[in-house]
Amino acid sequence: MKYILLMNGTKAGVRSYLEWSQQDRDDHMAVLQRLNKELTASGEFVATQGLAAPHEAMLVKGERDGLPMTDGVFPESKEFLLGYWIVDVATPERAYAVAARISAAPGPGGVPTNMPIEVRRFASHPERKS
Amino acid sequence: MKFILMMTGTKANWDEYSKWSKEDLERNVAFMRTFTKQLKDEGVFVATEGLGWPNQAKVVQAGKDGAPITDGIFPESKEFLAGYWIVDVENPQEAYKIAARASAAPGLGGKPSNIPIEVRQVLGGHADLGLYLPDL
Repeated sequence: MKYILLMNGTKAGVRSYLEWSQQDRDDHMAVLQRLNKELTASGEFVATQGLAAPHEAMLVKGERDGLPMTDGVFPESKEFLLGYWIVDVATPERAYAVAARISAAPGPGGVPTNMPIEVRRFASHPERKS
Repeated sequence: MKFILMMTGTKANWDEYSKWSKEDLERNVAFMRTFTKQLKDEGVFVATEGLGWPNQAKVVQAGKDGAPITDGIFPESKEFLAGYWIVDVENPQEAYKIAARASAAPGLGGKPSNIPIEVRQVLGGHADLGLYLPDL
């Protein structure tokens, strides 16, 4: 069963992350990279991606005169996708356990961020070949 | 440059979608299949996925002992990811054009749904925002 683990945050959340010390960031990333390695070793890793900053986000809604209608203004409360992991696991509980590992990654001073991670199952695609 | 084009919706949007006629649903799904094929033919396709329904969504936080604490309650205003495409194009404008095509997917009665599509650049495997966001 494939699940996507979504890390979301507001612009304010991203700004506070940028105030972390380099050491705190390195420690945080080291834990996440170790997790990626473990998931690869267990055969559960499918993909992970980080997204560019929310201030580069653009909303596209239809087109006018053949040109896309774009809007880059979002409410402060908007949750932006910051990054995701895709895992192929045996049970939903395993997906939750992996999400908890991400949530427990250290923040400033090594204290777990306990950041909420949204866990979503992929829709099944019976017609899909790959 | 890789971009992710995300279709999101609130639970209210999903409830509306579930009331679409079979004809409208089939037209929409047929469009999506053709759209994916077009992106492949154009050489810009990287990936696409549809997600399960929001009523199956869980949010997970690590507890004190690191064990997962799951919660399935979300505010009504919450935007759930419904599905996405990842495309590899020359510049953001190309990504916006593709997003506009997705936005024009047929809705009720075959009219363009004009659903908003969020376009974001995808950076790579290790989401160290610090590397990519020197000045926000």
